Amino acid sequence: MRLISIVYIELYKIFRKPRTYISFGAIAAIVGLIQLGFYADGESYMKFGMQSLSDSFDVNGNIMNGYLMAFIILQTLLVHVPLLIALVAGDMISGEANQGTLRLLLTKPVSRANLIIGKFIASSIYTIVLLFWMAVWALAISIFIFGADDMLIMKSDMVTQILASDVMWRYVAAFGFAALAMLTVSALSFFLSLFAENSIGPIMATMSIIIVFTILNTLDLPIFNMVKPYLFTSHMLGWKGFFDVTINENNEQIIGSIENLPAVLLSAGVLFLHVIGFLFASILVFRRKDILS
Amino acid sequence: MLLEISHLTKSFGSFTAVDDLSFSVKEGEVYGFLGQNGAGKSTTIRMILSLIRPTKGSINIFGMSIEKEREKILQQVGAVVEKPDLYRYMTGYENLNVFARLSNKHISKAEVMKCLELVGLDKRAKDPVRVYSQGMKQRLGIAVALVHNPSLIILDEPTNGLDPQGIADIRNLILMLSKEQKKTMLVSSHLLSEIEQVADSMVIINKGKKLVEGKVNELLNPDKVQLEIITDNNPLVKDLLANSGWAKGLRNSPDQKVLVDTTADAVPLLAKYLVEHQIGISSLRSMNSLEAYFLSLTSGNEVD
Repeated sequence: MRLISIVYIELYKIFRKPRTYISFGAIAAIVGLIQLGFYADGESYMKFGMQSLSDSFDVNGNIMNGYLMAFIILQTLLVHVPLLIALVAGDMISGEANQGTLRLLLTKPVSRANLIIGKFIASSIYTIVLLFWMAVWALAISIFIFGADDMLIMKSDMVTQILASDVMWRYVAAFGFAALAMLTVSALSFFLSLFAENSIGPIMATMSIIIVFTILNTLDLPIFNMVKPYLFTSHMLGWKGFFDVTINENNEQIIGSIENLPAVLLSAGVLFLHVIGFLFASILVFRRKDILS
Repeated sequence: MLLEISHLTKSFGSFTAVDDLSFSVKEGEVYGFLGQNGAGKSTTIRMILSLIRPTKGSINIFGMSIEKEREKILQQVGAVVEKPDLYRYMTGYENLNVFARLSNKHISKAEVMKCLELVGLDKRAKDPVRVYSQGMKQRLGIAVALVHNPSLIILDEPTNGLDPQGIADIRNLILMLSKEQKKTMLVSSHLLSEIEQVADSMVIINKGKKLVEGKVNELLNPDKVQLEIITDNNPLVKDLLANSGWAKGLRNSPDQKVLVDTTADAVPLLAKYLVEHQIGISSLRSMNSLEAYFLSLTSGNEVD
């Protein structure tokens, strides 16, 4: 059976399921609420944030613009999106096992490896569509509401200014990177769904792993420092690297620059390896699995 | 032989679900696969369909090993394993269409509808499966098994959970597929009365082991009957029969009843014999169907 047919069928199933749209609704609602909050009370919030800068700098223009809004939304939401990803990816096999449709599926002339790859591609497409949906709400609608201007990002020790003309490609890259990070979550949840007969288990297990790894990341202990570079959670926020710009000797931003491109690429590589690893492990496990559901 | 099972064994840890089972199904026949609940029927069917791996033994379908030629074989096999679970959020038509696409054959919309018509669901094709009755789900499951026009159809307990009308519908469908479309079918059930009405041959298994295999009309000999007698003094009756010409047919049984294998024309003679010995007969039941045979086998009382 051709892989493309399996992908088509799996996508059809995903988008016929009501639970799929919970994620889209949740993102639209949360982003909408953040935008509404900033639209109503954003000015005082920005004044407070800019207090320390106003003594040293003369800041003009539309600071609270769509680009900054998208950055704030991305930073806030990307912590919660894994749950929405796991909601579908964690259901891909376990949901079928729970419904009993897995055994009916496997009475058809579909190779087990192709079924896994097809399901994985379908869940990946869902993840990318969800990220695209988030990009539309976080970026396009924010620009529509708040307009576009240079972007100021405040960090603990510095303020980065990115020219408006140099921002959009960074968002495209950042959303691409975020998609890779979410694909890693999707692949993990998908792998865990092989071992369960209802989707609650894989969803909870995925979130637990992310929480435990994130806690390990925050603990500055030598034993944990050794493993941190290998944990996918250490690299999931690598998208922020696209907003770290290089400045020249005149303290001006170099257009199109990324301060630490190797670090961004390394993070992307680690995430990619995790995705491939989880996929291969899924194929290996599923090929030998007795279907008892 | 279209399907050949040879020395099939499946163990889960120390528990052996299927134990050295062998049987074969000829092309064009309806083959009954009988056993009580938990006898190992579904485990065997899952191995036939490559859903689970055998611990030992081999399965050949159309002369090919299911282990090596799984996809090639499954193109020609349609199956429903245990209850037909379907996508509840899809309509009957959508469900059938999804499984038709997975069958690796080009199946048109008209063919999908024709299949729904065959199982009597064409008028309910656009209804979501979640509102279907158990019987409708069962029929849709059979439609999933039939949609790609397979040569071998495997139905695992197809009448489970159905009302009498539903059972009759499924039985008629099996007979129609066998007689009119010449399909080879393996039908499992724990009800001998069901298999008796549709199967040409059968195998009976118990605790994973084969008890008997053969033609249904040979295993069901109408001349041989088993009498179940309940009297006012069963131990005395057992002693009496043990010391008479009926001794050969006397079977081990609990004290609440006496079991005797005999022939149909000897039943009045036995009744007369007991009455002559002043035994009060509360009940005398003659079982000459396959069910008596099955019950005797599975309860450990062997029949000649």
